[in-house]
Amino acid sequence: MKLQRMRIEQLRQFRKPFVLDNLQSGLNLIHGPNESGKSTLVRAIRAAFFERYRSTAVDDLRPWGDSAAAPTIELDFEHDNRNWHLTKSFLQRKRCDLTVGTETYSEDDAEEKLAALLGYQYPKRGASKAEHWGIPGLLWVEQGTGQDIEQAIEHAGDHLKSALNSMVGEVASSGGDDLIETVRSQRDTLLTGTGKPRGDYLQLEKDRVLYQREIEELKERVHKYQEQVDRLGKLTQDYDQAEAERPWEEAQRQLEDARTRYQQVERLEQQQHQEKATLAQLQQNHRLLQQNKEHLEGLSRQLESRKAELDRAERDLSTAQAQTPMIAGRLQEARTGYEKAEQRRKLAVLLQTRERLEQDVRRLEQQQQILTQNLAKAKDYHQQLEQARQQARDNRIDSAAVKKLKATANQLNEETIRSRTIATRLSWELDANASLTLNNEPLTGQGEQQLLEESTLVIPGVGTLGITPGGEELASTRRKLKTLEDSFAEQLNTLGVESVEQAEDRLSVFESAGRTLKHAEDLLKSVAPSGIEQLVTEQSEAERELEKARSQLKATPEPDSKAQVAALEEAEAAFVQAGTELDKAESDERGHQAKLSALQQTRDNAKTEWQRLAEEEKSPERQQQLRQITTDLANIEKQQTELQASLERREREIREARPDFLKQDIERYQNAANHLRQTQENRGRELRDIKVRLEAWGAEGLEEQLNEKEAELDQCNRHYEELHRRAQALDLLLTLLTEKRQALTRRLQAPLQKHLNHYLSVLFPEASLEVDEQLRPGTFSRGSELGQITELSFGAREQMGLISRLAYADLLREAGRPTLIILDDTLVHSDSDRLEDMKRILFDAASRHQILLFTCHPEKWQDLGVPPLDIQASKEQAAQSL
Amino acid sequence: MPKFLHTADWQMGRAFTRFETEDGAALVEARFEAIEKLAQLANEHQCDAVLVAGDVFDAQTVSDRTIRRVFNATKGFVGPWVMLPGNHDAALAESVWTRAKRLGAVPENVHLALQPGVIDLDSQRLSILCAPLTQRHTYGDLTEPFSGYESPEGFTRVGLAHGSVQGLLPDDIDSTNPIAPDRAEASRLDYLALGDWHGTKQINERTWYSGTPEPERFRNNEAGNALIVEVTGPGATPNVTQLPTGRYQWHQWRQTLAVQSDLEQLLERLDALPESAVVELRLEGSVTLAGEETLLKALSVSEARFRSLRCERSGLQLAPTDDDIAALKADGYVGEVIESLRQRQEAAQDDAARDALAVLAGLLREREQEASQ
Repeated sequence: MKLQRMRIEQLRQFRKPFVLDNLQSGLNLIHGPNESGKSTLVRAIRAAFFERYRSTAVDDLRPWGDSAAAPTIELDFEHDNRNWHLTKSFLQRKRCDLTVGTETYSEDDAEEKLAALLGYQYPKRGASKAEHWGIPGLLWVEQGTGQDIEQAIEHAGDHLKSALNSMVGEVASSGGDDLIETVRSQRDTLLTGTGKPRGDYLQLEKDRVLYQREIEELKERVHKYQEQVDRLGKLTQDYDQAEAERPWEEAQRQLEDARTRYQQVERLEQQQHQEKATLAQLQQNHRLLQQNKEHLEGLSRQLESRKAELDRAERDLSTAQAQTPMIAGRLQEARTGYEKAEQRRKLAVLLQTRERLEQDVRRLEQQQQILTQNLAKAKDYHQQLEQARQQARDNRIDSAAVKKLKATANQLNEETIRSRTIATRLSWELDANASLTLNNEPLTGQGEQQLLEESTLVIPGVGTLGITPGGEELASTRRKLKTLEDSFAEQLNTLGVESVEQAEDRLSVFESAGRTLKHAEDLLKSVAPSGIEQLVTEQSEAERELEKARSQLKATPEPDSKAQVAALEEAEAAFVQAGTELDKAESDERGHQAKLSALQQTRDNAKTEWQRLAEEEKSPERQQQLRQITTDLANIEKQQTELQASLERREREIREARPDFLKQDIERYQNAANHLRQTQENRGRELRDIKVRLEAWGAEGLEEQLNEKEAELDQCNRHYEELHRRAQALDLLLTLLTEKRQALTRRLQAPLQKHLNHYLSVLFPEASLEVDEQLRPGTFSRGSELGQITELSFGAREQMGLISRLAYADLLREAGRPTLIILDDTLVHSDSDRLEDMKRILFDAASRHQILLFTCHPEKWQDLGVPPLDIQASKEQAAQSL
Repeated sequence: MPKFLHTADWQMGRAFTRFETEDGAALVEARFEAIEKLAQLANEHQCDAVLVAGDVFDAQTVSDRTIRRVFNATKGFVGPWVMLPGNHDAALAESVWTRAKRLGAVPENVHLALQPGVIDLDSQRLSILCAPLTQRHTYGDLTEPFSGYESPEGFTRVGLAHGSVQGLLPDDIDSTNPIAPDRAEASRLDYLALGDWHGTKQINERTWYSGTPEPERFRNNEAGNALIVEVTGPGATPNVTQLPTGRYQWHQWRQTLAVQSDLEQLLERLDALPESAVVELRLEGSVTLAGEETLLKALSVSEARFRSLRCERSGLQLAPTDDDIAALKADGYVGEVIESLRQRQEAAQDDAARDALAVLAGLLREREQEASQ
């Protein structure tokens, strides 16, 4: 399709006719500033095709304020090698004429012809909207909608498919998609997305299970009921039979029988027991008689043994008596030995005592002598001591004081000498009569005095002279001298001496006396350490002891003979030995005496026994007894034999009757009778129970219920089956419809994809854009990026939109459909690089399609390589031409 | 000479599966009405007694209400009824009969033959030799003791038994409760009234199955009757009259549709049936979409007319013709789908494909109708 010429009149700002001429088959760049009428031209083309000529909803076409206007559009285009001329007027003059080659169409026919050609539809009433625009809606891009490709494709929908039919060589179904939706919605009331039952279908499935369970339960109960009925029949039969036969009575009879027999055995056992007791008694008697007999028969033997005993006792006694003298002799001997040893021991003791005493006397005498000597010495030393002490007392002086005195004396001397040197010397030589009084002391003759103090010299007759010694030192010397003199005097006084020499003499004597005293004391201490009195006492003590020892010695008798006196220790040992021997002899003697008396006693007893026995043995009663016992024994033995035979017999009888088995029989018959009775009673009870139970269960009408339930299940099943089949059918139908539709779509997808890739490779060399089932560009991938178109930036979406439209145009062209592309100020959001790529794409597309590109930015498109068409200029040109 | 009514197999307490609830209830009700009808017939024909040869009840545990209603339904005839326990209502230790007695539901004129033996109806001069089932199944001939049973001089000897006559009944070859075919002759019976076979059937001139008085299944021909038996004299062959008692007729048809006329013929037959019909149809073969539309309309009409109509069409293939498809305007891939479904249906007898085709045709038809409006 190629638009060649366009003329408009009385349309918006184009009140005057405006012609757009010389449109090229490829790219046409039409530009003009805002308000120049660029959009009006686009609107005019759209109105010429989309709006019904008789539409009243196209007021926007009317020039401002011109109510009489009849907006008119004339279009000349070529398609399929034929020339098409369309004239369409609106509002005041509603008119539509179409000439195709030589054919002419008018009014509605003309419009339908156009719609069929381009693939769009008219609105039923009112203004044409996007949903009516079909294929042109896809290829004619309004300002700012370039990115909304999905909507446009949807509106193109069926038109596209039918337009592309010839390509795929198949007929797409008209309204097939609606059908699919209907089937899907019907299927979805029965099945979930995954094909599981839902809604009524699911409910029936559940009900079915419920019914089946109820039926199972009922069947189970019916089965139980029937079991109980059978049980009842069996029980009734058994019960009646038992009542007729009464088997417990037979058991009872057998029980009685067994009891009787057992009682008999019991009696036998009792008798056996009694006889056994009798036999035991007999045996006891027999034993006693036997003992008696043995006793009696044993008397003579006893007598002999007693005699022998007696003899033995006599013999023992005499043997013991024979030993007596020997034992007595031994005792005497021991006694004598003992006394002798005692004598010897005493003597030894005496001797020893005397020796000790003699030693004592000698020692004491010696001691006495020493003490006497010491005493004499002590007295002498004492004398010396007293003398020294006296001397010390007389000359007692303090050595320190003496020392001090000496020092003072020396000092005094020194001071005196010094004072003389400094004192005022008053010397005088008086006439013999002349006298002077110095300080109230008369001075005569010649003399000299050192004056140390203020002095008064009275010269009789003359008067008084005052002398004052000069200088300070003199005064102090004088005072010091005075002090020393006083001190010296006082020390002398204290010591009680006249002079220093005297003091020293006294000190010498005193110290000598001290030394003597010390010496005497030491000597005294050596002889009488505890003092003289003590020594005296010791001496008298020693004296007394000596006296005492001497008297003791005198009192101690001297032994007779000095010979044969053994040492004391030896005597002691002998004495002890003798004592021991004596003890033994005495004990032997006592033992012998005891033995003797015991033997005597034994002998007496034996004698008595023997005599008693001897008498008894000879008595006639014993003979009688012996005879009687013999007879009794014989009787008893006979009885025993008889009894034992009887016992054995009965024992056998009892054993043969098997009392243990009899006892078991009784228990067995007893149990049997009880059991049989019990069984019958239980039957009776169970019968009653079952009857009651069956009456209750029977009243429920179980089988009738079961029948009804089964009918309900059957019905449920049938409904279920219906829905099941319907669900299967719908599912299958949906699957098939979807498959077929997809197959169709796939056939269209491939060529579209091919064209899409053709353009996309220019824009994004590594990218791909998948076409989905609805033939919409869907998944976009570039390297590792993956996403939907709608997730891209606005600019990119607009580019993709344009690419997709161009791909559709290519597809339509291949299908032999008209492809006019109108772009109104498109790609305004593209950056310069992309715009460059898009220009290449557009230039490429323009080699196959006519493209009208309206813009108000001609500078952006100047490198498109086509001469731009300036609307403004054309308008002016038109005005001029008029 | 005595005259009595012979019936059997009432199967009271049975519920009907395969029917809609309402239809099932009506069929149950009809069985009670059948008893009343029997009483009415007994009166009309001046019968001396009514003999019921077993299976009065369908089960031992039916509801009290059913028990009472059964005996109430006998009220119309005041002469003696003799009821024999069959295999469904055997005289067990505890049975529907003991319950009926406990309930006090059994009228005095109804004799329950719960023990084997003879029931003498003195005033009617009838000796009824009874062989009740006292167990659910027996493998010996319970009528054998009949030969040993004595009856008063001049009394008509009538045997009453429930089971299958050996060697004569087609379906019951291995069946339990056997009865010797020559029982009537061997035991000097004037007549042997049998139950268990639900259709009316003569075994020999003295031995009959009366069949159930109201049909309750599709098989068994000759159901829905009662027999009036008249014994004219000692040793005489009894006169047996078959009287219809059933209210509903059960029809089970199996039809293969191949050409258009088959369908037309079927619809004509349906049209000819009375309203009291209980119909089960099983259709096979194939039908065009247009034919199916016709069929569905006709079935819808019949459903409303009959007591019950069920039609099984899963064996009936849909064979859309080009005209069908053109009429449905199934173009493009929808047309492909139809073709695909048709192939699947033919190749694999695929029910789902058949149903899917029907659904699709229905939807397209609706669409066309909407479009045309």
